[in-house]
Order: sequence, then structure tokens, then C-alpha cells
Amino acid sequence: MFCFLVFPMALLAQDIPVTGKVTEQNGAPLPGVTVKLDGTTKAASTDANGVFAIQAAVGSKLTVSLIGMATQTVTVPAGGRINVSLKADSKDLSEVVVVGYGTQKKSVVTGAISSVKASDLENQPVVRIEQSLQGRTSGLTIAATSGQPGSSATVRLRGFTSFGNDKNNPLWVVDGVVIDNGGIGYLNQNDIESIEVLKDAASAAIYGARAASGVILVTTKKGKAGNISINYSGYYGTQAPAKKLDMLNASQYATVRNQAASAAGVALPYADPASYGVGTDWQSLIFNDAAPKQNHEVSISGGSDKATFYTSFGYTDIDGIVATPISKFNRANIRLNSTYKPAKWITIGENLGYSHAVTSGIGETNREYGGVLSSAINLDPIMPAVIDNPTAAASVYNPNNPLGFKDDNGNFYSIPAGGFQEMKNPLAYQKTRLGNYNWDHNIIGNAFVDIEPVKGLHVRSTLGTKLAFYGGDTFTPAFFLGNGPGGVNATATLSRNLNYLINYNFENTVSYNRVFDKHNITLLVGQGAYKDNNARGVTSTYGNIPATTFDEASFRYNALAASRTTSGSDGTDHRVNSLFSRLQYNYAEKYLFTALIRRDGSSRFGANHKFGYFPSASVGWVPTLEDFFPKNNVLTFLKLRGSYGVTGQDLIGDFSYVPTVGPGRNYTFGTTETIGIGYSPNAPANPDLKWEETRQTDIGFEATLLNNITLNFDWYKKKTIGILQNPPVPGYTGSGSFAANVADMENTGVELELGYRKKIGDFNIGINGNASFFKNKVTKLLPGVTFIEDNTASFQTLGAITRTTLGRAYNEFYGYQTLGIFQTQAEVDSYVGPNGTKLQPNAKPGDLKFANLNGDNAITVDDRTYLGNPAPKMSYGLTINVAYKNFDFTAFGSGVAGNTIFQGLRRLDIGTQANWQTKILDSWSPSNTGATLPRLVQGDPNGNYSKFNSVYLEKGDYFRLRTIQLGYTFPKSITEKLKMQKLRVYVLSENLFTITKYSGYDPELGVTSDAGGGAVFSVDRGAYPQARSFLFGLNVGF
Amino acid sequence: MIKMKTKIKYILALVIGAQLLNSCKKDLDVNFQERILVDNYYKTPADALAALISVYDRFGYQDGGLYDKVAIMDVAGDDQLAGGGSSTDINALQVISNYTLTPAIGPQTYLWNKGYAGIYRANILLSRIDAISMDATTKARYTAEAKTLRALFYFDLVRFFKNIPLLTAEVPVSEMYNVTQVPQEDVYAFIEKELVAAIPGLPNTVPAATEGGRLTKGAAQALLGKVYLWEKKYQLAADQFAIVNGPTPGQANPTYGYKLLPNFADLWKVPNKFNSESILEIVHTGASLGNWNDAGATEGNLLNIITGPRGYNPNAAAPDYYSGYSFLVFTKAFFDFIHFDPRNGATVANLDSLEKNYIIGNYDGNGPAGSGNKRPGYTPGYNNTGYFLGKFIARQSNKTTIGTNFDLNFSQDIYEIRLADTYLLEAESIMNATPGAVGTGSRAYQLLNAVRARVGLNPVAVTQDNIEKERRLELAGEGHRWLDLIRWGKAATVLASKGFVAGKNEIFPIPINELNNTKLLQSKEWGGTK
Repeated sequence: MFCFLVFPMALLAQDIPVTGKVTEQNGAPLPGVTVKLDGTTKAASTDANGVFAIQAAVGSKLTVSLIGMATQTVTVPAGGRINVSLKADSKDLSEVVVVGYGTQKKSVVTGAISSVKASDLENQPVVRIEQSLQGRTSGLTIAATSGQPGSSATVRLRGFTSFGNDKNNPLWVVDGVVIDNGGIGYLNQNDIESIEVLKDAASAAIYGARAASGVILVTTKKGKAGNISINYSGYYGTQAPAKKLDMLNASQYATVRNQAASAAGVALPYADPASYGVGTDWQSLIFNDAAPKQNHEVSISGGSDKATFYTSFGYTDIDGIVATPISKFNRANIRLNSTYKPAKWITIGENLGYSHAVTSGIGETNREYGGVLSSAINLDPIMPAVIDNPTAAASVYNPNNPLGFKDDNGNFYSIPAGGFQEMKNPLAYQKTRLGNYNWDHNIIGNAFVDIEPVKGLHVRSTLGTKLAFYGGDTFTPAFFLGNGPGGVNATATLSRNLNYLINYNFENTVSYNRVFDKHNITLLVGQGAYKDNNARGVTSTYGNIPATTFDEASFRYNALAASRTTSGSDGTDHRVNSLFSRLQYNYAEKYLFTALIRRDGSSRFGANHKFGYFPSASVGWVPTLEDFFPKNNVLTFLKLRGSYGVTGQDLIGDFSYVPTVGPGRNYTFGTTETIGIGYSPNAPANPDLKWEETRQTDIGFEATLLNNITLNFDWYKKKTIGILQNPPVPGYTGSGSFAANVADMENTGVELELGYRKKIGDFNIGINGNASFFKNKVTKLLPGVTFIEDNTASFQTLGAITRTTLGRAYNEFYGYQTLGIFQTQAEVDSYVGPNGTKLQPNAKPGDLKFANLNGDNAITVDDRTYLGNPAPKMSYGLTINVAYKNFDFTAFGSGVAGNTIFQGLRRLDIGTQANWQTKILDSWSPSNTGATLPRLVQGDPNGNYSKFNSVYLEKGDYFRLRTIQLGYTFPKSITEKLKMQKLRVYVLSENLFTITKYSGYDPELGVTSDAGGGAVFSVDRGAYPQARSFLFGLNVGF
Repeated sequence: MIKMKTKIKYILALVIGAQLLNSCKKDLDVNFQERILVDNYYKTPADALAALISVYDRFGYQDGGLYDKVAIMDVAGDDQLAGGGSSTDINALQVISNYTLTPAIGPQTYLWNKGYAGIYRANILLSRIDAISMDATTKARYTAEAKTLRALFYFDLVRFFKNIPLLTAEVPVSEMYNVTQVPQEDVYAFIEKELVAAIPGLPNTVPAATEGGRLTKGAAQALLGKVYLWEKKYQLAADQFAIVNGPTPGQANPTYGYKLLPNFADLWKVPNKFNSESILEIVHTGASLGNWNDAGATEGNLLNIITGPRGYNPNAAAPDYYSGYSFLVFTKAFFDFIHFDPRNGATVANLDSLEKNYIIGNYDGNGPAGSGNKRPGYTPGYNNTGYFLGKFIARQSNKTTIGTNFDLNFSQDIYEIRLADTYLLEAESIMNATPGAVGTGSRAYQLLNAVRARVGLNPVAVTQDNIEKERRLELAGEGHRWLDLIRWGKAATVLASKGFVAGKNEIFPIPINELNNTKLLQSKEWGGTK
């Protein structure tokens, strides 16, 4: 690509060298301004001093433009020297937004689109793109799924569009290539030029079939004609946990257990609780208070009027704050975006990103099954971390079975007592995973050719692909970590997993733009073909190899055939074919109109409903441009807009429309142990399976007040018809679940974005805030079905904890309502049903009183009710930028309100052996009758802690200061000496504080499969908390 | 201007044409790959066999939560406790062991789904086999096997739940929520009819090497006998059992070859699969590479690993037990009951005694192995008594040699019906049908005492009490005790101390999922209206 740079600029006979300087009104030079020779594609851009050079004829016109500034046109004077002073365009009206298959001037956009620009994201130390959107725009509910470095976040646009997790993920389109939700992590933050969130159906419908949950368009940086610029930006710092849980120490633990035993009338487990002292603080053993985090990026960009290029190399390396040796992430990125114009009427180019990531994960990031976090929370603090007495070690470790792990001092790690189930000594467990990693290579990009045979007509063809290779190496040594399930691994195994994936899309569009008088028409027709989901993989495992560590492990140990296992996997191609067309029209940028229609065909539906049609229309009106509108300085711009559109979704199992038979129903006959392969139908087919349709109405306005304040407002109503799901079916059918259009759901909401920008003396102040509210309601279920309880979220011994009910929000917490704590036996005895039967005959003073909601004579499952909504009602964000002379300051925070969190940090089936948080000290006892928690008693006969009730629920509201940053840009006098164009240093802190009442680590809890799959936010089973970091950063430009 | 317009026209025509070519439906037809369409299946004898195997699959199905019918029945009875790691470990077993199960929590969903999935698969085969062109004898045999299995599933379901739907064909999607329960008499009538129809199609014997585990005439007749006995049709029951047990108790059945094994302990040795005493067994294999992603999908026997002792610490001459999860332990009372019976050694794995004799561990530091070091012989689990289920306990010698996941791939089979069981059931049937005909030397007497003689015990008289004692000793830990107590009407008395409530715990509650949105009603015993 560098070859383009040596192309000399075409010198035409009549052209003279033109040079000049572009400045702000206050005289400050403006770098990066595009200077374009009208009627040609010739262009240049200004350097850091605001200076540009271009060849042009005297008398020709130059257009000088920069985003955020009012564009100017100047005439080349004799002598060729021009100085231009650009005015700040506070209205941003000349700003351009990407709308899918094209761009549009922001002032004439009729849909609800939020954009985030590179400048908003600069120097934010986020690793994944979802995080860069969090709190930046309205309409999105975003929650990190884990603090494990490199983890994705859950993104919901305008509430819930459908049932399930995948179907609520927005569609990501990077430079025109559709990327699956999980794969979006390959992007390097610094390469992003802009992100556009297409919120209303009218905007998203251009992506028809897969746009129902919203579309997020990402555009990467391009080179600009002009000088080559080289930029470095990077940061380095350390991270620490923001919070430790207040677990009981050893003597408190012994006291509480004695209390539970004494309440049950059984022998006290500890004779002298005070003698145990503080005990082991398991959390401090796995937390790292100085986990390094760093990121570096170098980019080079530039070009001429014939070619442009942008290339970058980035590297990120982060250690996790929990069990650092097994929690690491690093990623290298290379990007190459270029365009080339071999002739005036043709442009060819490509946008290509490559990334390679290596991740080590703690495995269980939000699960209670013996990962490092759940073990640290649940293990008993009396147990020491290591056994430094050999005699004691011999009583634990069987010499005939020497699989125990030792620490660096040669002492065995302790093992949990019986009854602790999967819980393991986290230090020993960490050793069993040491060295294991997953990796991926992603090559994602497109190549395009754009032909402009006549002015305004573009014929464009784009071929985009995602090529991914991914896998992992896992070595599990032989170990003895305890007597619970999974505590013993008899032989060392090495496992390697390899996968590849090739997705592609091929799109051809023709667009024509014509302006006559005040009419501006753009017509687009296009066609697309898409293929994805064809991952192929194999896993091979060798057992019984003589290695004891990951480094020793190798497939060169030729394990016996019987100890080798392999498995393979095949994705099923998902294909979509589409036709689409769009008309954009405006009259004098005053009356705006857009209409489009897309037809999609999907391989997931049968002949009855293969194709779906997705139309939309939107209108806008800018009254401030009307002659009758009084000129004033208060309301300088107002645009009213409204839209209606339909989008769709085909995310359901492949071939659900035909009945298929499936394998794996095997049985063995005879002593030869030959397994017979059995087949039976998978599920009844549903030939009438059809597109899920989302219809959305949006009404909004955009306004500029007092020249400094921008205001965006949207109201929407979104209705999804025929939600696709495999509904739970009665077991007596024996057949398993089938795919169907099972439900309708409605979301209504409002969104507000507010911006303020003002220059006061040397101060430049910018404030941006946004807030979104939504309400979600299921409006229809299958005939005869009034609710769905599909174990989307469940917890050991409590069973399902959520339910989706007709007329209520999707997946609300569902359990027993409590009416306080019984204070006396008389209260228990007088709590009776209509026929006088005691409702809670086993209850004692101190137990919870459960509401008898159905009015019968017993407390049963039928008395359960709705206890809260896991999804936040409101999300908001606030950014404050202040610049003073060479200093700049940014504070950025976001939060949610109105959700309920299930606090399931404590493993229930370990009974009273698992450790508690200190709040248990306020459980009811005869001497503490005003307690907030019910009494603790071994066996829990009343179900205080084993029936799902509000004991487990907490408010999820929080506000988090996500980043706070202070920067200093060195003055010109210094940078010029250093031959730099820019030199800036900054210090930054992430997650400096979080305001919340939540008692767990972190109230931000996205949807994780670890937490029971499904689509439920706010279920905490010991989620990996997000780190607090302090970073030092540097930006250098040449 | 005209020129430009023409150009545009051409380009538009070209692009639109390309789209039409590109967007034809064919492009959206994705290869079905390994997916076989139901319409293309059920055509060949091989398809019929695969369909039949899918029915057997449910017969052998154990829950991914590591329990099965035998485990449930064992802990429901008086002789065993759930055990395990804690009071909520495999909660489905805990709540039946202490009778705190509710419609929402318990093992009933497993029992229900196991049966109905099996019935569904049998219905699929039975509705399609007629159209398959194949050898008539084979077709009749497959049909008979499917019918027998379907009857077996219904027999379990009606005993466990009483009020169940009777489905003899696939339920169309449109009718899915309209199914209702039928009187239990209808279910019993259906089971009898099915078994009677199936028996002629089944072979007398099958070659053990290749077909061991497949249904035979004897198995179906034994099952029919059990159905009759459960219905208190004693003479009919005795007649069926007589065919199975043969003309001379203690001697081989001349038609089927059934004969008690001379050595009781040999019944629990894996190489003795499909022995002469076995009438119907649930086959397991160590070759399926079952793993923790879906423990229920293994073809291995999960009963073995859950009955192994936790943290087993053997010394040189110790039994080859394999560390497991310490479930299904016997009570002290049962151990005292069986202590001096010859079957004690094969039935109870006495870890308590092994430890006290320093055969395992070195629990007080005074034993031979590394004197001074205290080391327990095993880690006591919840409810620990020290008496483990020797018949199924995990053993090194039974451990699979294939793959790396040993826990889930033990290959020991489980007897669904064995000859000692049918001997005792026939004796019981005769005693009830013709109470006068059970004296010394009578057939009933011979049957009962053949079982005793095999383990070297002296004959006893045929009385209800003696039959009860004999079944308790002979069949301990094999999942019979609870059903026996229900049949004898003694569950409420015997199990009262465990929390059994008369008029309620005789059946399991209809699983709550089955009531959600359907026309099914909860049984009266469980607070419902059915």
C-alpha cells in the first residue's frame, strides 16, 4: 500500500502551488482540515500547524472543511497564498452520519440515529467496542458480563425485542461487513472513526431481516489527502479490585454456625469460636492489587488525490485482578484501509482488520461451581490456605494417591472439608489451570469498487468476509483438590481445540443523487447475499500423559488409543438473500422524507414463509428554516421527525420447519459392548414457522438552543410480533420442544440527549448527557399459555427464579412474598388459612412469614408472585469536558436505575457450612428481635433461605464514574523542537467510584451463559468484578 | 442527457437482472447435512432397529443429575439414606429420602419424562413400522419389543403417579395443551392388553454376546406377572410367574434356561452380564465416553460413582473401591438386620469395619501404615453410617479403560427383573391366591426356599412375614423395597419415621411443569383435585 505514496501528484500545466494556513477564529491553527479543489477529487489536508499545500489554478475554488466547523469556499488568488479562518459550527449541522449503504447530512436525517465520534472515544482505555458505547448514547442498556479482561458486554437496544439472549443482540456492521455479536471484540478502539446506532425501525429496516434488535454501524478511520501523519498513543497502569466483600472471619463464622446449630437443637460444631481468630481471608489470596494494563498503538495515514491509506498497529495487554496467573488477555491488531482512484470515475479500496488475541480465563466467571471466586466466597475461613505441618498433611493426602499440590515452600495446599461440594482451594485450583489459554485470529474486511459513470450515480460492489480461526489448549494435571464432585482428576489430560469460520457477504448497490432547484433526491437499489454460521471445529484430547505442568504437556506423548478422544463440530450455513431500495428526498433541507423496503429470504424458513418484507417510511420537518419562523437566538434549529418501520429476525434453529430425526439415543446390547445407534425425531416440525416482525413507531425532535445547547428527544413504541422460541412443552408429549412464533411483546420508551458547549475565556466546556427509559410488556402468548417458566434463570435448591407472564415484563423475578418476621409463637399459631389450618406449622419465632396469596390453606408454589424486574428501567450517562489552555479534563460516568439484582453469591446446597457476608450477623435471634434477616437454623425448616424470596433480592441502581482523565498538551514551542506535531500526556482512572447500595462486588451484571443462560440481567453468582485502574498515557503525533 | 439516461437504464437493468438471478429460492436451500428428515426415515429395517434402540435408550436413561429409578426407590425406602456430600447434594434424592419433596422439587420430573419420552419413541416406531418393508418375524419382534417397553414405562408411571394421560400415538402440536388424565384402571387394562399381544412376538432366548439385554418372552411374562400382582390378580400373576420360573424351582427353566446363580456374590460381577438368573437387565457400557457436559447422555452406569465412598484411602490389601460421592448408604438398622445373613458381604460395603481394622486409612494413627499419621480411610459424607451399597459400589476393576472420564463410564448392568425376584413374587402370588397351598414341599415353599438355599440358609415356612424378610434381604439396594412396602400397604407404618405421610406419599406429585398451562390436574394426595 505504501506504493501509493510515491505516486507524484499530477502536475497540470496551468496549476500553481497553492499554500495557506487554516486557523480557528482565535488564531489557533487547525490540523486535519480538508482542502478540496472543486470539480476534482484533488484534495489536501492541513498539518499540525494548520498549513496545507495543493496544486490549483488561479481563480479555481477550494472547499475548506472540517467536522464541527462551518465549511468555507475560497477562490485561489494570484500568488497562491490563502489564509482561512473557520468558524465553529456549534450546530454540527454539517456533520455527516452513516446511515447504512451511504451517508447523510445529520440535519436531514429523518430516523433516530445516535452517533459516537472518534473524538469522544479518544484515550478511553476500553478494550471492547460495547464499552465505548456504554453511557454515550441514549437507547442502549449495556452491562459488562464480567471483569475478566476482554469480556464482552450485554447490549440491549430499546428494551427487549425478543426472547432469549442472542436475539436481543444488535446487529454489528463494520465498514459494511456484518459481524456476529461475539466477534466484535476484534476491533481496536483507536481505529474507530465513528459509531452510529440506528435505533428506530425506519433507519434499521435497510438491514431488514436481522435488524430487529437494532443496528450498530462502525466506520473505521480512513486516510486523508495531504501529508503523512504518524501518531502514537498508549497508556500503562495498574488495576485493583474496587471492593472486597465483607465476609465473616473465622471466629465470626464459628459463632454463626454455632448459632445455626443451636437453633436446630444439634451439637455445636465449634467449642470455642473466639479461638479461631481472623482465619483465612480467601479473597486477599486471589485478588491482585497491582494487575498491569497497557495499550499501545501506532497509526500512519495520509494520501494524495489519487489514493489514501490508513494503517495501524495496536497492542493491548491486560492482567485480570482475580487469580491473575490464570486471568490474562492480550491482543494485537493490524488495520489497513485504503482507497485508490485509477481514473476519475472509479474508486477501488479495502478496509481490512486483523487481530490476534490470547486469553486465559478463570473459567467460571459468574458461577457457583468451584471457580476461584465462588470458592473464595464460600470457603470456610477457619480452613488454612496451606498445611505447613507434615503430619497434618499426611492425614489429608493419601500417600498412595499423591495428587495434592504444594505451594512454593513445599507445603501442601489445604483441601475443603466434606460437604463443600465443588468448592476448591482456589490457590490449588489455580495451579490446575496454569498456562491454559484460548486464542483467535480474525481477518475481517471488505474490498469494494465504486464506479461513477455519470455525476451522482454510483454503482458499488462490495465483498466482505470474516475469516476466523480460534481454539485453545488446555492441560489438566492429575490432581486431588477435595472429595467433592470434580475434586479428583486421576490422569493428566491435554486437549486441543481448533475451529475455523468463513462468513461472507456480497452486496451490490446503485445509488443516484440529483439536486435540482431545491429538490434533493437520492435513490438506492441494492442486492445482498450473506452466509454465516459455518464454523467447523475439532477437539482432540489425550489422556494419561506423563506431564505434570502445561509446559511439559505435549501431543508427542503418544497416548494409548483408548485414552485419546476426539470430537468434531459442524455449523449449519445460514444464508440470507436480500433486495432493497431506498428513496431519500428533501426540499430545501426543510421537508424531509425517506422510504425504503427490503425483502429478505432466509434458509431458516420453509417454502411457506421463506421471504419477509420490511418496509419503512420517515418524515421530517425543519420549521426553523421556514420563512415564517421568527429569527431568534433562542431556538436556532428545530427538526421534528416521525417514522414507522418493520424489521425482522430469523434467529431460530435451522430446519425447524421440517421434522428431522436426531442421533444420540443409543443403547448397548450384548457382552461385546457394541453401542447401538438409535434415532428418533428431534421435535415436531412447524412448517408455518415465519419471520419474527418488529414494528416500531418513533417520534422525536432535535433542537439547538442558544447556539450552545443541543437537545434530542425520541419517543418510541416497538411491538414484536411472533417471537420465535422453542417453548417449554409438557413432558407427556415426550417429544421435546419445537420452534414456534410464540409471543408478542411491546416496548415503549423515551430517550433524551442533551449537549452543551461553551467557550468562556480560556475555558472550553462541553457537557453531554443522555437518559433512556423503557417499559416492556409481553402482550401475547400461545393459546392456552399464560406464562413461560423455562428456567432461564435458576439457582440450586431454589429452582427457577424468573417467569415471563402475559401482561408483564419479560422475565421478572418470581418467588414468595414475605410479610416480615414472626416475633412470637402466637403470631405463628394465629397465621391460619380460611379453614383455620396453620399456614406455616413448622415456623418458629424468627422465621419469615410468607404471604398466602391464593387464599387457600397452605403456603405452596401457587403463592409465588412477582418480586422485581432484573432489567433496568432507566440508563443514563454524563460526560463533562473542560479544557483550559493546555490542560484538558474529562469525567465520564453512567448508571442505571430501577432494576432488581438476585444476590446469589452464597452457594445454598452447602448448607450452613458456606461462609456468609457480615450482614448475616443481623439475623433474628431472641436477643436480636429487630433483625433485618430471618433466623438462621441448620436445615432451614421454614425455608427462610431455601424458598426464593426477597432475602435474595436487592436494588440494582448505581452510578459509576467510568473514567476521569486529566491531560496536558505541550506547547508548540516545545513540540517543534522535538519535531513533533503533538505531545500530550495524561493520567486517568477507571471506575474510581461506584455509588450503589448493592452488597455484592459489582452491580453491573450482564447476561452470561454461566449465570444460567437465557437472557436475564442482574443475576449474581459471584461475577468477576470490574477493576479500578490508574493509568498514565501518552499521545504523540508526527 | 439522453446518453446518460440510456447508460443508467443499462446499468439498472444489469443490476436488477443480477439480483433476480441471485435471489432465487434455490440459493437459500441449505444442505441438511447430518439431519435426516422424518419423511425420509423409517424406510428400512435398519431404520426400524435404530428407532427401537431409541426406545431402549429411555429404558436405560439415568438423570444427568446422577440419579435413576433404583436410587430414588432405594432412598425412598427404610433401609437406605440419601447420603452424599451435604443435606442438599443431589437434592432430588435428599427430598425423597426425608419426604420433603414438593411438586416443584423432587425426582418426579425425571421419572415422568423418562417414561413419556420412551412412550413417545415407542409410539413413533409403532405407527411407522407397518409401512416398512422387512422380514415379517423381525417386524413382529420389533413391534413386540416396542409394545413391551411402552407397557413397562406405563406400569412405572401409573404406579408412581396414578393419574396420568394415556397416549398411544404422537400428540399433534395443536393438541399439545389439551391432553387429559385417564382413570388408572384404563392404564392397567392397556398394559395387560399390550403385554398379552406382545409376548408371542418375542424370542425365548437371545444370544448373550450380541443381543443380551433385548426383551424375551420371559421378560414380558415376568413383567405381566408383576402387573397382575400389583392389581392383586393373584392367580393370573402366579400363572405368569410359573411360566418364567419353570416347572421345578431351583432347577433350570427348560424353555428359557433361567436358573439361580450358585454364588450370590457373582450377581454383582461385571463379567457375569446376562447370566442365567437375569431376566431383564438395563445394559451399561464403559465405551461411550460420557462426559460432564451431559452426564445423562452417558451409556455408563451412574449408580456406581454415586455409591462410591468419598476420599477412599486404601492400604495394600484393601478392596478395590473407587472414590465416589457416598450416596445410598444403608442404615444401621438394616445393617443389623443383614449382619449375620450370608448375603451381607455382597450387599454391604462396610467401610466402617475396614477402617477400624486398618485395611483402609489409619484413622487413629495406631495402624500399621505410617504409624503416628492419622489418616481417615474415607471422608464421611452426609448421613454417613459407614455402610455402603456393595452391590453397586464403584470399583477400580469395573473402571472403564476407554477415554479419561472414569466417573461417568462404569459398565455394570442393573437388574430390572431377576429370577430370585420372580421366585419370591410367585410364592407371594400363590400364597394370596390359594392361601392353603403353601405348606412344606408345596411349590410356593420350594420357590421361597430355593432362594434361601442358594445362600445356604435353612428352609422357612411361606408366610407374609417370611416373604417380606426374604425380599428385603435378597433384593436390598436394587430398588424394590419401597414398591414392595406400597404393595403390601405397609409403607405408612414402616416409613413414618422418615416423614412418610399416609394418603400422600404413596404416589409422587405430578411435576409442576406438567401442570403449567395444561389441562392436567394435580392428584388429590398432593393437594390437587384429581
